[in-house]
Amino acid sequence: MRIGDFKETYAADEALWRTPTVRAWMGVFFAALAVFPLVAGDYLIYLADLVGIAVVSALGLNLLTGFTGQISLGHAAFMGVGAYTAAILATRWQVPFPLVLPAAGAVAAGFGVVVGAPSLRVKGLYLAMATLAAQVIAEFAFVNFEGLTGGIRGINVPAPVLFGVELGTDRAMYVPIVLVAVLGTWFAANLKRSAPGRMFVAVRDRDISAELMGIDLFRAKLQAFALGSFYAGVAGALWAYFMNVVTPEHWPLSLSIHYLAIIIVGGMGTVIGSIYGAVFMTLVPEALRAAMGLLRPVYPDAMALLSPVTEILFGALIVGFILFEPHGLAEMWQRTKRFFRLWPFVH
Amino acid sequence: MKRFRIVRAVLALALVWPSVGLGADTIKVGAAQPLTGRFAFAGVQLNQGLADSLARVNEKGGIQGRKIEYIFEDSGYQVDKAVAVFKKIMAEHAPPMFYGESTGLGKAIAPEINKTYKVLYGSTSFSSELADPAAYPYTFVSGPTYSDMMGVLLEYIAKNPKGDKPTVAFFYSDTEFGKDPIPYARKKAEELGVDVVAEVVTKVGAVDVTSQVLALVKAKPQYVIFQGFVLSPIPQVIRGTRDYGLDISFMGIFWSMSQMIIDKLGEDADGYMGVNPYAYYYEDDVPAIQEMRAYNAKHHPDVKHRPNSYIQGWFTGMVFAKCAEICVENGWDVTGDNLVKALESIKDWDVGGLMPPVTFVNHKIPSGRVYRADAKKGRFVPASDWITLK
Repeated sequence: MRIGDFKETYAADEALWRTPTVRAWMGVFFAALAVFPLVAGDYLIYLADLVGIAVVSALGLNLLTGFTGQISLGHAAFMGVGAYTAAILATRWQVPFPLVLPAAGAVAAGFGVVVGAPSLRVKGLYLAMATLAAQVIAEFAFVNFEGLTGGIRGINVPAPVLFGVELGTDRAMYVPIVLVAVLGTWFAANLKRSAPGRMFVAVRDRDISAELMGIDLFRAKLQAFALGSFYAGVAGALWAYFMNVVTPEHWPLSLSIHYLAIIIVGGMGTVIGSIYGAVFMTLVPEALRAAMGLLRPVYPDAMALLSPVTEILFGALIVGFILFEPHGLAEMWQRTKRFFRLWPFVH
Repeated sequence: MKRFRIVRAVLALALVWPSVGLGADTIKVGAAQPLTGRFAFAGVQLNQGLADSLARVNEKGGIQGRKIEYIFEDSGYQVDKAVAVFKKIMAEHAPPMFYGESTGLGKAIAPEINKTYKVLYGSTSFSSELADPAAYPYTFVSGPTYSDMMGVLLEYIAKNPKGDKPTVAFFYSDTEFGKDPIPYARKKAEELGVDVVAEVVTKVGAVDVTSQVLALVKAKPQYVIFQGFVLSPIPQVIRGTRDYGLDISFMGIFWSMSQMIIDKLGEDADGYMGVNPYAYYYEDDVPAIQEMRAYNAKHHPDVKHRPNSYIQGWFTGMVFAKCAEICVENGWDVTGDNLVKALESIKDWDVGGLMPPVTFVNHKIPSGRVYRADAKKGRFVPASDWITLK
C-alpha cells in the first residue's frame, strides 16, 4: 500500500506524474525506449515503429471519437491525405523532413475540417455515414487523381534526411517515430487536463448542456476534427517515409475500422488507452503467428492450416473486450494498479 | 506401461525438437504468403505449389545433396503485416531467396532489398512495374507480366480478325491489378493495327453491369479483354451481351483463366478465351504436369485438380531451385547476388512443357498461350501455340 502521498496544492493534484513512484517508472520507461534501438533486432525494431505510428494515429482518433464523441469512419482517409501530402512534398519540392511532418498534418487537418463540417447537423450513426463518404471519396481520389497521387502505382518516397543524416533504415526511423509519439502523447495528456480537453468531454457527454455553458459547439467539433486529423496526417506522413511508398491500397475502409477497434480495445476517452490499444492490436497478431511458428519443426503445415484460426481468435479477443471490459485495457490497468496500491487492505 | 509411453514420447520430442529443423547446409527459401485475407483463394494454392515444388526437389536428392528448407508465414495480404513477416524471417533464418505476397510488398521492401538484404525476390505479382532490373535488380517475375499477357492476346487478335480489321475493347477494374497493363496495351494495339473501340472501367465484384454492357453493345468490338478481375463481373457481362445477340469473343488474363470461371458460366463458357503462361493441370501430354500429378497422387491423394495459381507457385519453386543449382554447380556461394547472376544466365531452359523453353528477359518470361474454354469437357483447351513476344 502506498502511503505518505499528500497533495498540498491543486497543481500537484493535477500534475501529469503525480507521485515519485510514477516519476521513477516513467524514467525507467524512457530509458528503455532509448536503449531499445541499440539492442533489439530488425524485426522488433520494425514492430516498434509500426506501434509508434499506430499510437500517433490512435491518439488522434481518440481525441475525436473518445473525447469529443464524434464517430469517424474516415480515419484512414485522413492518414492517406497526410501520407500523400508528405510524398508529394518530399518528391516534387524536396521539402525537408521536419517541415513535411507538420505540413502533412496541416493538410490533413484542413481535410478533416471539411469532413467534419456536417457534424454540426448530424451525429452518431449519421455522422458515421458522412465520414464514410469522405473515406470513399478519398480512396477514389487517391486512385484517379493521377497527376497528383501517381494513381494506382502510388509514389515512391525517398528516405528522410534529418540534420544531414539519412534515415534509411527502420532503426533510424525509430528516432523520429518515437519522438513524435512521445510529443503527441504529451500534448494529448495536457490537452485532456486543460480547458479545451474539458470542452471536448462536455460536448461528448451532453452537447446541449455544453452549449448552455457557453461552448461554441460547431467550433469545438471542428477543432476536434482538425486535431484528430492532424494526428492522423502526421502518422500518415511517418508511414509514407517508413514504408518508402504510398499507394491507394494502404488506406482502405478496413483500416479506419481497425483504428476504431484500437481505441475501443485500448479505452475510449483515455490517452493511455490509445497506446495500449495500438500495442495490443499490432502485437497480438504477431504473437499469435509466432506461436504457430513454434509448431513448425514438428508440424510444418501448421501455418497453412491454422492461419485462419488466428484471425478468428483475434476477432474473438476483440469481442471479448467489448463484452467484458468495455472501458478497455486502460481500465484493466487501472484496476490492477488499484489492487496493488491498496493491497493487502482491499475492501 | 502406457503412461510411460507418453512420457517417452514427450522426452523424445524434447530431445529431437531443435534438431528436427534441417542442418546448416540447407538452402533456405522464405515466403510471406497471403493465406488469409482477400487474396487467400489463390494464396493457399500458391503456397502449396511452392512448398510441393521444393519438397519434390528434396525428394529427388536436393541440390547436389543440399536440401531446400521452405519457411513461410501468413501475411494476410496487408503490406505492413507482410513486411513484418519478411523482416522476421530474414532475422531468424536469413534465406537468400524470398517469395512475396503482392506487388505492394515488392515495392515497399525494394529499397531495403537493394541496399541491405540482397535476396533473390519472386512473388505472386505479374506487375510490369516489378520487371525492371534497373530499379528492382533482385526481383523477378515468374512468368510474363500483365502487359506481356495483353501483348500475347493482342497478337492473337491481330492474326485472327473477325472481319476486315480486328477490333477490341478493354474491360478492366480500377485497381492496380486492373490498370497495370492498359497503357502498354493501347500502344501495342496501335502497333499491331488493332482498333481499340472502347475502354470500360468498373469495380471489382460489381453486380449491376447494365451500363457497361450497353457500352459494349454500342461499340460492338470483336474481342473484349478483361483485366483485373477474378470472377465477378465477368459472367454477368458475358451473359448480358449474349442477350443482345452479339458475337463477341471474351478473353481473360491468368487469374480469370481458372476453372472457377468455367464452372460458374456452365454452357455459356463455350468460346471464352484467354491467356495462361503455364500449361493446365489436366493437359496429358506435358511431362512437367505428369510429374506434378504423380507428386500429388503420392502426397495429396484426395486432390483431383490444381488451379493455375498452384502452378505459378510450383514454377516459382522450379526457378528458385534452378538458380540455386546453377550457383552450386559453379561453386558460387548461394547469395542473392549470385542467384541473380544465375537467373540472368538461364538460356532456353527446358521446363518439361510447362512453358516454352525459358529465357529471362528483363527478369521476366514474355510468353503465353491462348486457351479456349470447352464447356462440354469443362476445361480449357489450347487455341494457339506458345506465343513469345519479341
